[in-house]
Amino acid sequence: MTTLAIKPRKFAMPGPLQVWLAGLATIMVAGLAAGLIVLSRGLVVTNLTDLVPWGLWITIDLSAIAMSAGAFSLSAAVYLLGLKRLAPLARTATFIGLIGYSMAVLCLMLDIGRPDRFWHALVFWNPHSVLWEVTMCVTLYFTVLVIETAPIFGGLPWLKRRWPRISHLLVGLHRLAPVLALAGLGLSMLHQSSLGATYGVLKARPIWHRPDLSVLFMLSAIAGGQALTVLATTVTARLRPRIKLDAEALDKVTRFIGWTLVVYTYIRFWDALSMTYTYLPGRTEGLRWLTSGPFAFNFWVGEILLGAVVPSLLLLAPRLRQLGWTRTVALALVVGGVVAYRWDVNLVGQLVLLSYLP
Amino acid sequence: MVIDQATCVGCGRCTLACQATNDINPNIAWNVVLKVGQLDGQDVYLPRPCMHCEHAPCVEVCPVGASYYRADGIVMMDYDKCIGCRYCEVACPYGARAFNWETFDGRNPAVPLWGETEVERRPRGVPEKCSFCFSRIDRGLALGLTPGVDAEATPACVNICPMGARAFGDLNDPESPVSRLLAKYPSYRLREDLGTGPRVYYLPAREEGAEG
Repeated sequence: MTTLAIKPRKFAMPGPLQVWLAGLATIMVAGLAAGLIVLSRGLVVTNLTDLVPWGLWITIDLSAIAMSAGAFSLSAAVYLLGLKRLAPLARTATFIGLIGYSMAVLCLMLDIGRPDRFWHALVFWNPHSVLWEVTMCVTLYFTVLVIETAPIFGGLPWLKRRWPRISHLLVGLHRLAPVLALAGLGLSMLHQSSLGATYGVLKARPIWHRPDLSVLFMLSAIAGGQALTVLATTVTARLRPRIKLDAEALDKVTRFIGWTLVVYTYIRFWDALSMTYTYLPGRTEGLRWLTSGPFAFNFWVGEILLGAVVPSLLLLAPRLRQLGWTRTVALALVVGGVVAYRWDVNLVGQLVLLSYLP
Repeated sequence: MVIDQATCVGCGRCTLACQATNDINPNIAWNVVLKVGQLDGQDVYLPRPCMHCEHAPCVEVCPVGASYYRADGIVMMDYDKCIGCRYCEVACPYGARAFNWETFDGRNPAVPLWGETEVERRPRGVPEKCSFCFSRIDRGLALGLTPGVDAEATPACVNICPMGARAFGDLNDPESPVSRLLAKYPSYRLREDLGTGPRVYYLPAREEGAEG
């Protein structure tokens, strides 16, 4: 694929697809190099400390998983609620999910101190641990995603020509779709919310120690995952004019994203307001860091204004939603808002230290 | 363990003995001494080992069960099981854990001046913490000694303290040094409100001449 981009004589003016692929290849090479450095020299190169042991890797990991939430929610809509029109979108979402979870798993492999022992959670169980539950769910759900995407790969023309039997077998897996959608729904609901609970169960960090984190993680993941799915679909259609879009289905999904954002903002508002009533030392301090401290810009502009309020308005006003560029901007803002939310949650809890004396 | 803040002068020898005995990377520490305030013009210190909580958040959250309770209550680390996710480090209210961000393969500067190494060095990529010198306790018990009474069966930080600010022993035994101190003086534990049940007790700094 990359050879297309590095043969300039053949393409005097590289088309948008070539530019895209070249950019993608650059990022992948940089990522590979960074990964090798971490593996050989250890996590010391990441500048993580004992004060903030979870940083950028975790944020990427959480965001990648959140962005994959389109897969389970749209598959459930198609195969459990019977909204057959969304089937092409669910296919795209499932593929994005496969990429997202691969990315998350690869990031986690680099983020843990002993990548050679990644399989330990599957063998040595601690059912008390939320992170154990997340690991099991992610592993099982990744398997579900592989089976769900198998028909897409099975349908590739060259596979059909070369190995018709394998192709037939993979395409046949499509019959399992409703069962897989159900399994995916269960596993995803479990771990998407548990990623919030991973933070929420920690007494040591008062700003995290609340029941709402799991609900907020779930809602933001559904909004972000579906937003990325629609965004990817429209961008692909731009690059490959052959692809036909179902305008009505896209419209339905984007409106749903808009309403999800409204619910998310509503719960977020009460969650933040209730924090001001508890006067818990670390919690009040953390909230202050978010609303008027070093995270204020990220919080008000990145998370609330651009991440939730503006896109929900753009996606809920029918005329703006149907306009191509406003919808694209709104969807990109949703994705950015979810990443900003994960980043802020992760950092603020670690930076506000608990006093030793009550 | 009981730590008397009234007698601790913050010399930091407990940290050095710990570094040597447990062969810890000089960039990290299991046992730190913090300056927390002043009383009668004297600095007050807070030495902080692992609290060996009765309900330890690190044990609850570890996805692979690498942090676990020993039968005697010591919170242990299985460094061969640990995957290095650092959830325990984020979960500990006392900041008692330190991660091996890089390989420690040099000479330990605390050896031999502050003690001899008694346990295996941990690899890069796992968090580590105070173990109440479990190897000294186990060997001592096997020899029929009493931890907290006989130095050979007592954690290194307790032995080295020039002020005798630390005491160690079995909290279930009313005759142990720790039980006697706790019966005599008022004490507190760090963040008891969290319900972790720390097993390190502090005797607060007292005003000059005041009896506990």
